Amino acid sequence: MTESSFILKHPLRVRVFHYILAASFLTLAVTGIMLYFKLLAEPAMNTAMQVHVVAGVVMTLDALAFFFLAFDRVVLFTKRTFTFSGNDIKWFAILGGYPQKILLHKKVDVPPMGKYNAGQKLFGICVLVGGTLLILSGWVLWALPHAVPHGTASMIGSIHLYASWVLILFLFVHLFLGIYMWDDFKAMFVDGRIPYEDAAEKAPLWVKNELQRLS
Amino acid sequence: MNKETKTYRKGEIPGIIAINTRECKGCDACKRFCPTGAITGMFGATHRVDADLCISCGQCLVNCPFGAPYETVDPVEQVAAKLADKRTTVVGIIAPAVRVAIGEPFGMPVGSLVTGKMYSAMKKAGFVILDNNFAADLTIMEEGTEFIQRARHALFGEKAEHGGEIGPLPQFTSCCPAWVRFVETNYPALIPNLSSAKSPQQMAGAVAKTYGAAQVFKAAPESVYTVGIMPCTAKKFEASRPEFQSAWHFMKEKGGAASSAPYPDIDAVLTTRDLARLLKKMKINLAAENDAEGGTLFAEYTGAGTIFGNTGGVMEAALRTAYVVLTGTPLARLEFEAVRGLKGVKSADVTLRDQKYGKDVTVKVAVVHDIRANIRPIVEEVMAGRSPYHFIEVMNCPGGCINGGGQPICDTGSSWIGRVLPSFAWS
Amino acid sequence: MSKNDPSHEFMESPFSLSRREFIAIGGVIIALLALPAVWVRSALINRNHHIQARTKGLYRDDATAKIRLSHENQAVMRLYRDFAGKPLSPVSEELLHTKYINRMKALS
Repeated sequence: MTESSFILKHPLRVRVFHYILAASFLTLAVTGIMLYFKLLAEPAMNTAMQVHVVAGVVMTLDALAFFFLAFDRVVLFTKRTFTFSGNDIKWFAILGGYPQKILLHKKVDVPPMGKYNAGQKLFGICVLVGGTLLILSGWVLWALPHAVPHGTASMIGSIHLYASWVLILFLFVHLFLGIYMWDDFKAMFVDGRIPYEDAAEKAPLWVKNELQRLS
Repeated sequence: MNKETKTYRKGEIPGIIAINTRECKGCDACKRFCPTGAITGMFGATHRVDADLCISCGQCLVNCPFGAPYETVDPVEQVAAKLADKRTTVVGIIAPAVRVAIGEPFGMPVGSLVTGKMYSAMKKAGFVILDNNFAADLTIMEEGTEFIQRARHALFGEKAEHGGEIGPLPQFTSCCPAWVRFVETNYPALIPNLSSAKSPQQMAGAVAKTYGAAQVFKAAPESVYTVGIMPCTAKKFEASRPEFQSAWHFMKEKGGAASSAPYPDIDAVLTTRDLARLLKKMKINLAAENDAEGGTLFAEYTGAGTIFGNTGGVMEAALRTAYVVLTGTPLARLEFEAVRGLKGVKSADVTLRDQKYGKDVTVKVAVVHDIRANIRPIVEEVMAGRSPYHFIEVMNCPGGCINGGGQPICDTGSSWIGRVLPSFAWS
Repeated sequence: MSKNDPSHEFMESPFSLSRREFIAIGGVIIALLALPAVWVRSALINRNHHIQARTKGLYRDDATAKIRLSHENQAVMRLYRDFAGKPLSPVSEELLHTKYINRMKALS
């Protein structure tokens, strides 16, 4: 390949949002696990909780800023993650061809996908719903545990716990596949752009239907 | 409880409340309910209860979102064994607030008044009923008379009939064992202001093992086993105070129990939750019971006795009786609305004519509940000698005994009564 | 790889999302976000309901009682007549009154 064109996949505001989200969520996950398993001595537990709170505030501000400054992206993301077709079921049947590719070095035909494949859509829904629940429940648990009825508070505690488990488990998959697909990783963390051929292979519907050429 | 405690005497239970470290999430919610700052442990780390500061009110227990605090004393087995023993007369001393809460663990709506069903279930379990409302009426007689004596002493210089010392004004109520221990550990200078009247539970125990044993139960005091059934965890502590063997001392002086080992006025205290567990253990479904009468002389009680469980109730009951005793005329209206409700500090002025001295007096009363939030300014005023009040009712728990630390835990509720302000826990 | 200026030749069409979709989906998002807020708010408002319900129960017990004054309790009067004499009598003082102790000394 000598000449290649690029597609802007992740605009700057999305990348900045994602930088802060990644940093704060990783911090929250690590401190959250420490707190849940009570791994440390008392002062260190306190420090872990303080870091957890600060990271939580940072993540909240990040989410709020993105929500208000890039509401169109939020809506677009919501639309894409919640739009399913028969192709998504077929995609799940072969898990996007990734196990075959990674484990057996075998290429299988994959149903055509949009900007996000079926797995990414599922992850996107979990991030949207779970992230929102985590942020809201975290704030109630931090600021109002005394005033909210204890049954409600305990339910909110369970929501916080289960949502965090789901997202932490997904995080491992997300990290692995994100690094495995190095072009995507670079796009999100460096310059936002992805080679045209690569996108045409992985997201043919997106490339076909939703792009415009810059003159 | 491995640390040595300092604020307990021999025989007293040091600390009714402890925290299960496996359940504790370090969220700090309990600290917002603790009236004495007895809960230690940094934000994020598991918490502990400092028994020396703890007044055993149990508010942390009923308000923890994760159910981490628990009672260290569980007399259910012991009481069940006594109920099974036919030689023992087991007297169930039922506090007012129990009858509006015991229905909840049996699936009835919150606040259901189930006096009749409760009597029936308890008699089925083998209890003889001593309604603590009866003892509440007795408390009004003693505490109200004491107040009249203190007021007439302060206003008209009246002397005590038996030459004893008369305490100062304002008089504080002494029914709430958490409040009594709060004074003893935080403001001992105010001990003379506490009414010397025992709490209804302790009056009931002392009466049951003297007059009751002889006249009502027709049994030897040693075979009378008194069980306080209370909305309160601090009552477990109160019952263990060593001075509360007054029935034994009394009988010994009378020569009745010279050979007997000392026995306490109250042998065991069950919280409302404990009673529900006991009944369920005995397969008694309180909700399915028919209404029954108490069946003993000690089950007779008045409306004044039953409102003891509400904040303002002791004051209202005392005012009803004190008014009639002081003026000699009946009250036109029994309800004192000013002392009802959930306001932190309620006060009222009652102007009346003391018939004995032929003078008008204005009695200023105050009612305080939720002592964590409300007691300090009132107490500081009294310490400084600036208190405008003559009689002050204090209950530790927000709302009074009906929201006590021994009540069934209501998941849709919080004891947070004041304005909702976020608290951003940090260290 | 050629480094053109601009660095990319393609981007998403601004019409990936129609106006109607934007309003509909955006409205649903905001409505769903409001739900937990409403839920927590109502929990906060009703948090003292159990206290009020139990309080009402006891006041109802009082309002429906035949006798509503402690000094009219016949059982109490009988106890004084047969046993204790009267309030603050020596028997009363011994059985119905108590003393308190200063526990602060131990703390300091």
